[in-house]
Amino acid sequence: MPETTEPLLEVRGLVKHYPLTSGILLKKQVGAVKAVDGVDFELARGETLGIVGESGCGKSTVAKMLVNLERPTAGEIRYRGEDITRLSGRALKSVRRNIQMVFQDPYTSLNPRMTVGDIIGEAYDIHPEVAPKGDRRGRVQDLLDVVGLNPEYINRYPHQFSGGQRQRIGIARGLALRPEIIVADEPVSALDVSVQAQVINLLARLQSEFDLSYIFIAHDLSIVRHISDRVGVMYLGRIVETGRDAEIYDHPTHPYTQALLSAVPVPDPQAREHRERIILAGDVPSPTNIPSGCRFRTRCWKARERCALEVPALAVPAEFRSVSGPAAHDSACHFAEEKQVVPPEEPGEGPHRSSGDRFGK
Amino acid sequence: MLLEVRDLHVEFHTRDGVAKAVNGVSYGVDAGETLAVLGESGSGKSVTAQTVMGILDVPPGRITAGEILFEGRDLLKLKEEERRKVRGAEMAMIFQDALSALNPVLTVGAQLAEMFTVHRGMSRKDAHAKAVELMDRVRIPAARERVRQYPHQFSGGMRQRIMIAMAMALEPKLIIADEPTTALDVTVQAQVMDLLAELQRELRMGLILITHDLGVVADVADKIAVMYAGRIVEAAPVHDIYKAPAHPYTRGLLESIPRLDQKGQELYAIKGLPPNLTRIPPGCAFHPRCPMAQDVCRTDVPPLYDVTESDAERGSACHFWRECLHA
Repeated sequence: MPETTEPLLEVRGLVKHYPLTSGILLKKQVGAVKAVDGVDFELARGETLGIVGESGCGKSTVAKMLVNLERPTAGEIRYRGEDITRLSGRALKSVRRNIQMVFQDPYTSLNPRMTVGDIIGEAYDIHPEVAPKGDRRGRVQDLLDVVGLNPEYINRYPHQFSGGQRQRIGIARGLALRPEIIVADEPVSALDVSVQAQVINLLARLQSEFDLSYIFIAHDLSIVRHISDRVGVMYLGRIVETGRDAEIYDHPTHPYTQALLSAVPVPDPQAREHRERIILAGDVPSPTNIPSGCRFRTRCWKARERCALEVPALAVPAEFRSVSGPAAHDSACHFAEEKQVVPPEEPGEGPHRSSGDRFGK
Repeated sequence: MLLEVRDLHVEFHTRDGVAKAVNGVSYGVDAGETLAVLGESGSGKSVTAQTVMGILDVPPGRITAGEILFEGRDLLKLKEEERRKVRGAEMAMIFQDALSALNPVLTVGAQLAEMFTVHRGMSRKDAHAKAVELMDRVRIPAARERVRQYPHQFSGGMRQRIMIAMAMALEPKLIIADEPTTALDVTVQAQVMDLLAELQRELRMGLILITHDLGVVADVADKIAVMYAGRIVEAAPVHDIYKAPAHPYTRGLLESIPRLDQKGQELYAIKGLPPNLTRIPPGCAFHPRCPMAQDVCRTDVPPLYDVTESDAERGSACHFWRECLHA
């Protein structure tokens, strides 16, 4: 993964507030749902950035703003150095071509009254410069082949496909315009376990084949680790910790990340005896009424007075600044400490752990 | 054995023909024990549970064979009035989606209290007090006030606690939890599973946990039954199955999940799709997707072979279980 050149995508201070109003004639704003409340990240060419968080943390709203389905309240989204939030008309259209989306639910994101060919080919009606008219059918068939579907299925309707096949159609649609960036919002969470693996492998293959950059949004931490180069953990509208995948998973320093990782059930019954679980109290606060200071403090076992007064910045915590190592990554906590919550792999434990001699290959 | 399901067969009549959802399932659970039933959508895990609970829609469903012995009594032979007395009081169910399982126009207090007025003949006042007590027990803060609220006023995790409270209300001997935490976030899932395990220990209940999540199973189960196309393909104590699966489907499932503690290369993916239940392949239903399949797999349905190695019983419905186990 290149780290030298300027990032393909750069997000700075991204905010989305949905106003809450009262009154019918004279609408007064009485508050706001702060869905996204100051998010920064970068995406390099060919890289995958995973964004994890629980429901309501704002990860899907970030996705929608990236593909311009929502207008940000504030902040910048720079694509190749240009702020796309200010674009309109033709300039916006050409940028959109390069940032495409794959949606979560393959059942509702495909129009049931259109054939697969029309669904995938619709993009060419809007961007005719990508594929001349006579060439489109062939292009769509190529795309079906690329995502592992029979090209002869071009005239079928979505209901004739299984969930996993539908998600492949959604991916083919995302690829139709040859984008540089694909924003995938929970692309496998509606699928069965055995089909999930097929779609994840497909996404990985397409990335190297088409030199794609991914923003991969999911709540499943294991899947995000599998596919991502870097990971950002979101809580209540902000990224609270970010770093390379091993930094986040093996050396988390933010208490929320630690709790989140410790809560993930690990498919290893041996682990349950010696695994430390951090069970968080209570629910996520409402995004209309975000706690002062650190937004995680109401559920944090380490919270002290300072946490209510001072918003922690997303930066390398002071105690790790002098050391170089996996713990030295951005973490928005006043009292960041390293804690290993995912038990390290023990060698030779069961067949599914060895990666060398995988079964069936 | 508290509950014993023997050779259960259930089918559905659909426009495309007869869908054979459950094809000879047998399993048992003891008091205080947790049996996890693992399977993907369409494997028959939920239909089996609904049949045990007596809430299967008949028609279109039809129970064609089998016995469900609960403390030695065959539930399938009981009259509906007798069955109703068992349901709720002796065995209870927790559903995946608490928002649609609870009545939206009644307060949660009224729904909890109903358990006591209907099954125990309590006065409304006493039943109300019991409802508050139950909500306290599943650790819903400010139970006294919240008992008057409606389901939509609770968060997902809190609603699932209310479902648990309702299932526990009459202290049943058996709880069937159908994907109880699938709709919840991981941190909330951990809270809810902890609560469920604690109450189970306290009341020494049998628990049947239906799930597709191999992680959740590893955390709580004593033994596992893996289902595929309406049959149990592998049944084993929890430690054995994760250490060395004796069925290629189980093995494929375990290898196809990305792991939190390691960064994988390419995931192993089971090829193809689960079968259409109206057209289950002959022989072993898994053979079209199985990397180990031989000619015999296409013709002969494998029985559940006894593959017991240690003291705990273990079974695998694969002709080549030895090869799979020692691969």
